Amino acid sequence: MEKEKQLIISVGREFGSGGHVIAEELAKRFDIPLYDDNLLMQIAEEKNLVHGDLTKYDEKPKNKLFYRTVKGHSNSPEENVANIQFEYLRKLASEGKSFVIVGRCSETKLKDFPALISVFVLGDKEVKAKRIMEKYDLSEEDAKQMMQREDWKRKSYHNYYCKGKWGDSRNYDFSINSSRLGIEKTTDMIEMFIKEKHNNPA
Amino acid sequence: MIAQILAVAIFLVMFGLIVSEKIERHIVSMGCGVLMLVFVFGICMHSMPAVLETLNIGGILKPSFWYLAGASEEASSGINWATIIFIAGMMVMVEGMGRAGFFRWLCLYIAKMVKYKAIPIFITFMMMSFVLAMFIDSITVILFLAAVTVELAQLLGFSPVPVIISEIFCANLGGSATMCGDPPNIIIGTSLGYTFGDFVKNTGLIALISLVFVILYFYFCFHKELKQTHGDGEISYPQPESAISNEKDFIISCVIFACAVVMLVTHAQTGLTVATIGLAIGLVTLITAGRDAIVLLKKVDYKTLLFFIGLFIVVGGLEQTGILKVIADFIARVSGDNAMLMIAIVLWISAVASAFVDNIPFAATMIPIIKTLSQTAGVDLSILSWTLAIGTDIGGSGTPIGASANVVGISVASKSGHLIGWGKYCKYAAPATVLVVLISMLCIYARYF
Repeated sequence: MEKEKQLIISVGREFGSGGHVIAEELAKRFDIPLYDDNLLMQIAEEKNLVHGDLTKYDEKPKNKLFYRTVKGHSNSPEENVANIQFEYLRKLASEGKSFVIVGRCSETKLKDFPALISVFVLGDKEVKAKRIMEKYDLSEEDAKQMMQREDWKRKSYHNYYCKGKWGDSRNYDFSINSSRLGIEKTTDMIEMFIKEKHNNPA
Repeated sequence: MIAQILAVAIFLVMFGLIVSEKIERHIVSMGCGVLMLVFVFGICMHSMPAVLETLNIGGILKPSFWYLAGASEEASSGINWATIIFIAGMMVMVEGMGRAGFFRWLCLYIAKMVKYKAIPIFITFMMMSFVLAMFIDSITVILFLAAVTVELAQLLGFSPVPVIISEIFCANLGGSATMCGDPPNIIIGTSLGYTFGDFVKNTGLIALISLVFVILYFYFCFHKELKQTHGDGEISYPQPESAISNEKDFIISCVIFACAVVMLVTHAQTGLTVATIGLAIGLVTLITAGRDAIVLLKKVDYKTLLFFIGLFIVVGGLEQTGILKVIADFIARVSGDNAMLMIAIVLWISAVASAFVDNIPFAATMIPIIKTLSQTAGVDLSILSWTLAIGTDIGGSGTPIGASANVVGISVASKSGHLIGWGKYCKYAAPATVLVVLISMLCIYARYF
């Protein structure tokens, strides 16, 4: 990969689809940093803040009942943390940096940057539940409940800040069901797509 | 009966939609205002006089709307145009002051005066917040103060959170001290015919006594947290002069502000009403702004003005249908002949309600209620007015959503990464709110009973 050509890979994912593992692997293959919840750690270090305070509200939907907005100023910690991250991501992108970013509305918030390639990883309910059961040592019922809860949070978070709906294939360059080919082959497919689009943009 | 049910339903829908924030509040209040005019006054009551009384256009044409030669006169119900015109004028003036750099200059000047030390900044900024909020809307005060606080906190290495929470509290407290400090006070003053001086002598005194306790309270809460980590070495401090974008504009805005304060303080003597003062300062700001007048006019928050108009119509509907009288009679029955109990009920209900819902519609709704209470139970209307003003203004400080200043202050802090959730805010502000409401209740009892 040509180091000087900026590459931003946005990976949206359903809970249990293996999207995060795929994002990690893509970061390794393209030799670029991966940002997920560590993004807030970096922001906290730069601004001399307590990291834990910010993490609590990471990728959480805004609680509309308990917080208000006055003249465009919101006092919701979730909304402020989200905006701090969006701003930071745009700053990184404007500086010409290459990176993989997991979730955080990045497919919309970084849409203006030509270097962006956005991917959404989904999966079959049963396959996702199996992955969650293994990873978190849960029963099938608990895994399915957790999956439903986490996906609801991601969806609510995303749809509050973006016009396009979470997981809607029209908002992403490439949507893929990881249950069809398995994590590794799915990663290969995405890598191939990214290389093609990055080197020969339409 | 149908008119009453419909009026209450429209009011509840309005309140629910305002709280939900799904639709902008000015659209909600104006929409509900139109529904009130068409369905309640038109279809149910067939009463054109009720429509005219609520729209209150005729009031503006009376000379007494602009100039009161004798004693102050009670305004009729419906749209309180004096409030609308006064707030619009103040918005123009405050926008001019902000553009000229007045607020940032004042914050930096005071920080420089106390030699950029955290604790003195903390105490002086609380006092400044109180004083500025007496004359200027608390959102503007907090917007500038909190921004400078974050900047100084980063430079000096202290947490801005304690300072911002204290500033928010003092802004709300300062707002309660005068007639123009907080929208509920303007509405109470113009609806019931009180002057700026009346407020200062009553709510102002209570607010000043409370301020002493509040400063001590916050000092004991936060003095350990405010140990600064930098500040002894070479730091390039922001200079007050750097805030002034244009010296001529700065001087003009200072003069206009001073004139506004003088006119407000003396309006009982000069006979000028707050509507006249608002119009005058707004016009003078626009004239002196020259070409920038259009920019200033564009910055006026029309949405808030429309929200007020719609709100007054909806509350007018409740008043015309007699619902508010029913509520007033209920309070009178509960408190019996005990005026002190009635004061306690009005104070604590206002405070608790304002901690969770917008205090402007609450105060507007309560005014006709206290008027009726005063007539039926024989309690002095002025005492009930000061109680309502204090309750609605101070109660808002109790939670992060209670007042607009809280939302804006917390937002400024959060944007810099210093998050303030319900827990952190209420831990300090809720006890302070209870403390001030208690002090106010004791002051009211001691002075008026």
